[in-house]
Amino acid sequence: MDIIGTILWPIKWAIELILVFFHWVWTSIGMDPTAGATWVLAIVGLVIVVRAALIPVFVKQIKSQRKMLEIAPQLKKIQDKYKGKRDQFSREAMSRETMELYKRTGSNPLSSCLPLLLQMPIFFGLFSVLNEAQNSKAGVGPLSSELAAQFGGASLFGIAPLHSSFSSAANAVPQQVSVMIIAVVMVILMTGSQFITQLQIVSKNMSEETKASPTFRQQRILLYLLPLVFAFSGFTFPLGVMFYWLVSNFWTMGQQFIVIRNMPTPGSQAAKAREERLARKGIAQLADGTPDANEPEPEPKPTQRQQPLGKNRSKKKPGKKSPQ
Amino acid sequence: MSPTITKSAVFLYLLPRNIAVLLLRAYRMLISPLYGDVCRYYPSCSHFGLQAIQQRGLVLGSALTLRRLGRCHPWARGGVDDVPPVRHQRFRVTTFGFVVMNSDGRA
Repeated sequence: MDIIGTILWPIKWAIELILVFFHWVWTSIGMDPTAGATWVLAIVGLVIVVRAALIPVFVKQIKSQRKMLEIAPQLKKIQDKYKGKRDQFSREAMSRETMELYKRTGSNPLSSCLPLLLQMPIFFGLFSVLNEAQNSKAGVGPLSSELAAQFGGASLFGIAPLHSSFSSAANAVPQQVSVMIIAVVMVILMTGSQFITQLQIVSKNMSEETKASPTFRQQRILLYLLPLVFAFSGFTFPLGVMFYWLVSNFWTMGQQFIVIRNMPTPGSQAAKAREERLARKGIAQLADGTPDANEPEPEPKPTQRQQPLGKNRSKKKPGKKSPQ
Repeated sequence: MSPTITKSAVFLYLLPRNIAVLLLRAYRMLISPLYGDVCRYYPSCSHFGLQAIQQRGLVLGSALTLRRLGRCHPWARGGVDDVPPVRHQRFRVTTFGFVVMNSDGRA
């Protein structure tokens, strides 16, 4: 076995287990075991399991972002120091100092590279499982040859096999137009969801300082080029893999929406919108944005003024929380 | 040795890392922006990889990068984490990132 095969083996095993489990679930509630929809829903199940497993990482990230509020003055100091300096050297020095500050205060808001590194092998694992299932070859684990034959033969809406891609459909004799149409629609949906997610972050969840930086402007140009790249690579993947990608993208979009609504970056447009929303509900706000009323928050420091209590908070017993 | 032979020898010696540089540049340009900033370090993992491969070559550079990727998890504190500096920098790096012989001809 080659190196990549060895690395992918346990991942493929786990993917097969999850797929077969969900396939069993859907079949036992009365769905046709050979239908494309059953297998597509099994893929949706796979996305849910993978993304749910990554939620702790995400929560960790949000907690660090809360800590960002505490270091906001120090962050502002660094930003002021490099204000108006656009050369690469100053930008680098600024990033260095910011990272140092995050480390010192334990408030790193970034998610780290691990989730990405975990997702990629899953993607390629699914790719390889689908490819092998196409030839009715039994998988490395729970996917028996009978199930593999079903998976490989399963087709979406009864016309588009999950293992076929736009390029394979275009090269087939005769051309499989339905597969091509479905692939195009999926690429459009995928590009659209990616675009919305990015645009949501850019337009709502970025502080004015970040928006003014040259890196950001460069990123915005790329944002408009990306759909092209995305569509191009989308054509070569089988429909089953595209489905995984698409559902995963939708998950990200939803997650992002919730975060931007409830945990916006301080100083961004979303933070202002949230303050207004909370103010309308009759909850007093501090300028830096107080955490949500129905979530526990650390005891305010004695120097702060006593906040008026909202409906939810007034029910809580005051003596319960210990000062941090 | 004649200068032409030296030049081609250096070119061949630097070829593996320059191919890696090209791939990393493509990744950083096309794939990286899909996810935005995620890395908890400065320089980011891919930037670290680029520098490590430029300075140490494909084999050592990749090893250093793998070690760094292992360090980049949600429970790490992050911060500044540079490629361990080399004592003698024998080559020059172009604006694009390719590693070439020093312009004075001394390799």
